[in-house]
Amino acid sequence: MTKLKIAIIAVVMIFSQSMLSQQTVRGTVTDDSGMPLPVASVVVQGTANGVSTDFDGNYSIDNLSATDVLVFSYVGTRTQTIQVGNQTTINVVLETSSEQLEEVVIVGYGKQSRVAVTGAISTVGSEEISALPVTNAESALQGRSAGLTIANSGVPGSTPSVLIRGLGSLNNNSPLFVVDGVIVGNLSGISPNDIENVSVLKDASTTAVYGAQGSNGVILVTTKKGKGGKGQLNFNTYTGYQSVTKRYDVLNTVEYLKYAADLGVFPDRPLELYQNNTDWQDEVFRQGIIQDYNLSFSKGDENGSQYFSAEYLKQEGTLVKTGFERYSFRANSSAKFGKLTVGESMSVAFSKQNPELSSGGRTVLEHAVKAAPYLPVYNPNNLGGFQGPSSSVDGQDAENPVRVQTLGDAVNKNVGIIGNIYAELEILDGLNFKSQVGLDYYTYDNKRFVPSFSDDSVTGSITHAQDYASISRSKGYGQTIIFNNSLRYNRTIADHHNIELLALVEKYEGKSSNVGMGSRNAVTDEVDQLSNEDSSLGSSSYETNKLGYLGRVNYNYDNKYIASASIRRDASSRFGANSRWANFYSGSLGWNIAKENFMKNTAFSTLKLRSSYGTTGSDGIGDYLYAPTLTGGFEYPINGEVAFGVTANGGANEDLQWESKEIMNVGLDVGLFQEKVTASLEYYKNTSKDLLIYIPPPASNGINSGSLPVNLGSSETKGFELSLGYRDSEGDFTWSANLNLGTTENKVLNLAGVDGVVGSTFKGGGNITRTVVGESFFHFYGLVSDGIYQNQAEVDAVFTANPSQTTVQPGDIRFKDLNNDGDITSEDRDIIGNPFPDLTYGFNFDANYKNFDFNLFVTGVSGNEIFNTNTYDLVGGANRLFNISQDYNNNRWSLSNPSGTEPRALGAPQNNGVSDRFVEDGSYARLKNVTLGYTLSSNFLEEYISKFRIYISGQNLVTITDYSGLDPELGGNEFGIDRGLYPQPKSFLLGLQVTF
Amino acid sequence: MSKYKLLVILLMGVFLVDSCSENDLELSNPNQLSPDTFFSNESQVQSAINAAYANLQPFGLYGRLMFYMMDNMSHENAGNSQQEGDKVTFADFSFDSSNNQIFDYWDSCYRGINKANFIIGNADKINEISDSELSPARKQKFIGEARFLRAYYYWLLVNRFGGVPIRSGTAEDVPEGSPRSTKAEVINLIVEDLTFASANLLRKSEEDKGRATKGAAQAFLGKVLLYEKEYGAALDAFQAMSGYDLETDYYDNFKEETEHGIESVFEVEYDIALGTGAKWDSPVSGSGPNHATFRGQDYGVLNWFNVYPSDDLVAEFEPGDNRFQGSFYVPGDTYNNGQNTFVADDFAENGGNVRSVAWKKYQNYYKQTDEASESGINVKIIRYSDVLLMMAECENEVGTQADAIGLINRVRTRAGLANLPLNLSKAQVFDAIVHERKVELNGEQVRFDDMIRWGIVASELADTNFQAGKHELWPIPDREISSNANLTSADQNPGY
Repeated sequence: MTKLKIAIIAVVMIFSQSMLSQQTVRGTVTDDSGMPLPVASVVVQGTANGVSTDFDGNYSIDNLSATDVLVFSYVGTRTQTIQVGNQTTINVVLETSSEQLEEVVIVGYGKQSRVAVTGAISTVGSEEISALPVTNAESALQGRSAGLTIANSGVPGSTPSVLIRGLGSLNNNSPLFVVDGVIVGNLSGISPNDIENVSVLKDASTTAVYGAQGSNGVILVTTKKGKGGKGQLNFNTYTGYQSVTKRYDVLNTVEYLKYAADLGVFPDRPLELYQNNTDWQDEVFRQGIIQDYNLSFSKGDENGSQYFSAEYLKQEGTLVKTGFERYSFRANSSAKFGKLTVGESMSVAFSKQNPELSSGGRTVLEHAVKAAPYLPVYNPNNLGGFQGPSSSVDGQDAENPVRVQTLGDAVNKNVGIIGNIYAELEILDGLNFKSQVGLDYYTYDNKRFVPSFSDDSVTGSITHAQDYASISRSKGYGQTIIFNNSLRYNRTIADHHNIELLALVEKYEGKSSNVGMGSRNAVTDEVDQLSNEDSSLGSSSYETNKLGYLGRVNYNYDNKYIASASIRRDASSRFGANSRWANFYSGSLGWNIAKENFMKNTAFSTLKLRSSYGTTGSDGIGDYLYAPTLTGGFEYPINGEVAFGVTANGGANEDLQWESKEIMNVGLDVGLFQEKVTASLEYYKNTSKDLLIYIPPPASNGINSGSLPVNLGSSETKGFELSLGYRDSEGDFTWSANLNLGTTENKVLNLAGVDGVVGSTFKGGGNITRTVVGESFFHFYGLVSDGIYQNQAEVDAVFTANPSQTTVQPGDIRFKDLNNDGDITSEDRDIIGNPFPDLTYGFNFDANYKNFDFNLFVTGVSGNEIFNTNTYDLVGGANRLFNISQDYNNNRWSLSNPSGTEPRALGAPQNNGVSDRFVEDGSYARLKNVTLGYTLSSNFLEEYISKFRIYISGQNLVTITDYSGLDPELGGNEFGIDRGLYPQPKSFLLGLQVTF
Repeated sequence: MSKYKLLVILLMGVFLVDSCSENDLELSNPNQLSPDTFFSNESQVQSAINAAYANLQPFGLYGRLMFYMMDNMSHENAGNSQQEGDKVTFADFSFDSSNNQIFDYWDSCYRGINKANFIIGNADKINEISDSELSPARKQKFIGEARFLRAYYYWLLVNRFGGVPIRSGTAEDVPEGSPRSTKAEVINLIVEDLTFASANLLRKSEEDKGRATKGAAQAFLGKVLLYEKEYGAALDAFQAMSGYDLETDYYDNFKEETEHGIESVFEVEYDIALGTGAKWDSPVSGSGPNHATFRGQDYGVLNWFNVYPSDDLVAEFEPGDNRFQGSFYVPGDTYNNGQNTFVADDFAENGGNVRSVAWKKYQNYYKQTDEASESGINVKIIRYSDVLLMMAECENEVGTQADAIGLINRVRTRAGLANLPLNLSKAQVFDAIVHERKVELNGEQVRFDDMIRWGIVASELADTNFQAGKHELWPIPDREISSNANLTSADQNPGY
């Protein structure tokens, strides 16, 4: 009853006040860029009398007296207090707050005030994410956070590779992606426009709560929630074109024929064919249109919120007949019923990709580089309409790349659903119970149809032909359901001691299933459906279950002295009963020095020292590997029929267990002059143990699986990260600049007695990469070149122990005899490159002048090497007649060009084996984005439109690099190996943003 | 508040249920069989044997690498100017321990050995099957097939690498890898296996086409012993064979329609109609439909075409030897069932080299116009003419020259050649055998090993990059050395 009494008294007081003065104040609340702030709070100090601004930032508050003080506040801005006096209009500009105190950071299973954060977290806001017209949300994070390395591929609809703090594991280095509390495979189904913010969790104190899944870092994505009072409608669109301008400079027909004659090879085509001069690269690249339309509606107040959005994206690839199209929808909402809050977020994306194709194990780009320039692209006399080579003197295995990429159809369709539903109940004051179910579901349906074709009818024989239509299809689905329940207790004791406790149980159920089918049709090309003709079938299914318990304590004293600790116990079905469970823990400390009395009246607005230590884990390896199995599918003809075979699969390891990682992090945050200058420095050292990897067992063991999952040794990854920010304004001109950079260095400490692990085969023979103790993961390992042998005496001087060899001759590469045994063998190999950059960086510059805004964004890496396998083709590495580069042709050693810097044509095979000949500096700096925007003043437009901005922007316009390949940013699966990867386009865009 | 309490209780209930679900962590692989109950009936034993055969097929062995590696090293092949680089390395002996083809050969053999060991190592389980369900003789026949195949894969290894690690299918096989055994130890294992197989396999007339037979085991046992210069024992093994003879037409050995003829002792099976979808998938695993070789394409003069018969080989033929027509095409020959005729231009080497002979053996041109990457003609690993010539070699050493010459003459008669006189010396007989084997078995991956065991390889290959003391053996692949805890580069073969 006492509450009711107070309420009555308060109402009476308000009434009495109103009777006294009846003063009303109106005004507009805007931010420092002049944008109206909706739902800003305007409250009479010391009373319950308050209002919110409307959608246009307008407010009106009654019953004021001259002595009242109005408090204007808005999330993310500095609160202002103004005495009413005799004013009737008070317009307020709320400056964007620079104090970390007010910034709330999303962390694992919760959120934290930035000032109380003790871990290493970078955050990326929606402005930065939507600044670039990227089709994939991961791409939007490139260069935005120190220690985060993103490498894109040019293939429309492809997922970039993401690394947090470099490499810590041999097998799976992908971070954990969490969208609104749901663990997902990647962000491909998430529209970048729907993202409110992203937290990148890098150290143990922030990732250990994810226990067994957090070892590679965590990317937490929070999607937009409804806000904006009576509601706000946004429409964003952009359109533009994309192109790839760089080419390999290869020979034209005249040069090609001359080169062929030098090799003693004479293509046997009718003379009129040599009138052609096809630039195959120009034939496969094109200008692609990209367009995106996004509509969203947002509404929210204290009783609940709604956010709806729909987006359509269409991107034509720069490689012919590649492209990506996506429709995505989202509905996020929440509602409050007293002490109970329920909510959900749900997104659905339908996508369609026309993928990059390949043939004969060679990319379209490789075919385009090697194909003979005298062959025309099209020939209506050939079945299918294309012309290709017919014989070994005709560039035989270089197929017509346009036919490879465009004949028939290749479509990959996907449907992805990501969502969650939750209920949260306040049981007691400060004690909350929350239950959430999350879902990540996808289906795919990939179809490939190639009609019959024959690439030649000029000669009598045919090399590239298919006398039937082939149809293949693979379908499948995957589903992850994550169910978690948690109890959270928040309490401030004796005004200073802030305590937060969390207990959580989480269950993860993952399933996937795939079906692959193929058939032929020798009768017609008209039907692209499967049939029983020469059909093949296969299917498989997988299941992964996990269970975890988490406890966490966060404590701080006045946000000055901070401590936190967590423990998580996890189990995974990927391991056998003996090693299934593991514990992961973390602890951290922080000290906000700037809050000490002795720091008052100094330039420091922030000075914080923090450190953390803990363990995380990974079960990042396949399912069911602990139990031995048999495998079928072997065939042998017996009596003219297939006899099917079964054998032991091998490759099971019942002792397989968790990979674990100890993570140490020390950080220092500095803010000067009211955060005008900010700096953040981190040092980290991650030690991984029991590395999960598939190793090739000795081939002489002969096990069918060809690989053995093991826990192999340990490694160390360490580095520094630095973020610097500066912002300033002068009159109408405001600007800010941010620089972030990260270093990382990995080293193998132990390989459990294994000499080394080699990988990545090279078409010139051998393996490109090696991993051994004491060195970086996956470094390139090969022969070291030392110029060109000019005469036989120079050859003989090296091959002293093998003088009878005749393979290596003048004009071949002189490799260093590193073991001094008088012969060049594989024992002379050395480390010839490291695929990992020493430094990864991003630089962002924003400026506003009146209605103009400008952004410039640069990213880059330095200190890494790329193994460029394209060079093998460009220097005629196959020792057969294909097209080659101008550069090689002009500089190759021959009797008539004895000073040539490149080895002779048709030289020793060693010239084209793994050596530093194919290794290049992979450093680059790329102007990722430049944007110029103009916002029309609101009074210029109808009152219904509150914001109207147009902009032009360009992406990837300038790349500074010494790398000779098409794109130094390698988005493939292998680290630092360019096998003819689809380069990223340059884009020019025109965009429009309207808010109603 | 009571309804909230109810809700809390409900949710807490969920919390508890959730944490009780540890059973869900115990999963078994739905995609593959469990080994616990295997080898409990005949069809399971049969399927394990089938898998061991499958490793003969993929392109790491007879699908592709075997024929060009061996024929290039022996220089029965000469290379087209556009011969692929990996094939060139065998013609000019420029391969080293990083060579991927050599690794694939090694890997293929050991995968076959492991599959054979899966049966041999589970012999106890097989013997536990009730005799009424599977007769003891049939159990031994299955184990015999496995031992035949294991011996054959080791034979391929020991000839190319010398002594190699022995995996026996027993508990002695440690996962970190086995050390190199001596060549003699490997040979001993092969002889034991083939002796067992000779005693327990079925005769060719009783067995399904494609499986190893008693005759095949006897022929191989003889061949292994011959290589060991145990001529008497070898001769015994050869002479135990029965039911074999020469084809009337030499060329019938190399066509699809005449597979498994009277001369055939053991063949590797191919049949395009059974599927070829996996031919590119793995050079070593033997999984999936691999029922084609690349020989038609690699040796086919009108098509892809990497190699042609070397001048040295062509010159070895005596005038009137009808094996010339069974092995080579020349301008004027017809093909495609007689509907097409080769013209000189079809043989012209680019760059002006005049060439007039192309491979016919194992080509499909006899019935079609083009060679694709799929040929369904079985590869004959041992023919009876090979056995006759090996017997002649034994007779020449431990029997009489006259008996040896008689055997040679059987082969020569089929070739349309005059008999050798019966009064030749031992050395003359030997020379006759060297000549006869070079011609009779041309392009059949026999000559390189013959030259080595006869000790004539250095002189015969004097014009090539062959280095005596080095190239008789291949290097142990780098990948084996780096992954095998019991091998170091000190174990490498000489010269690599």
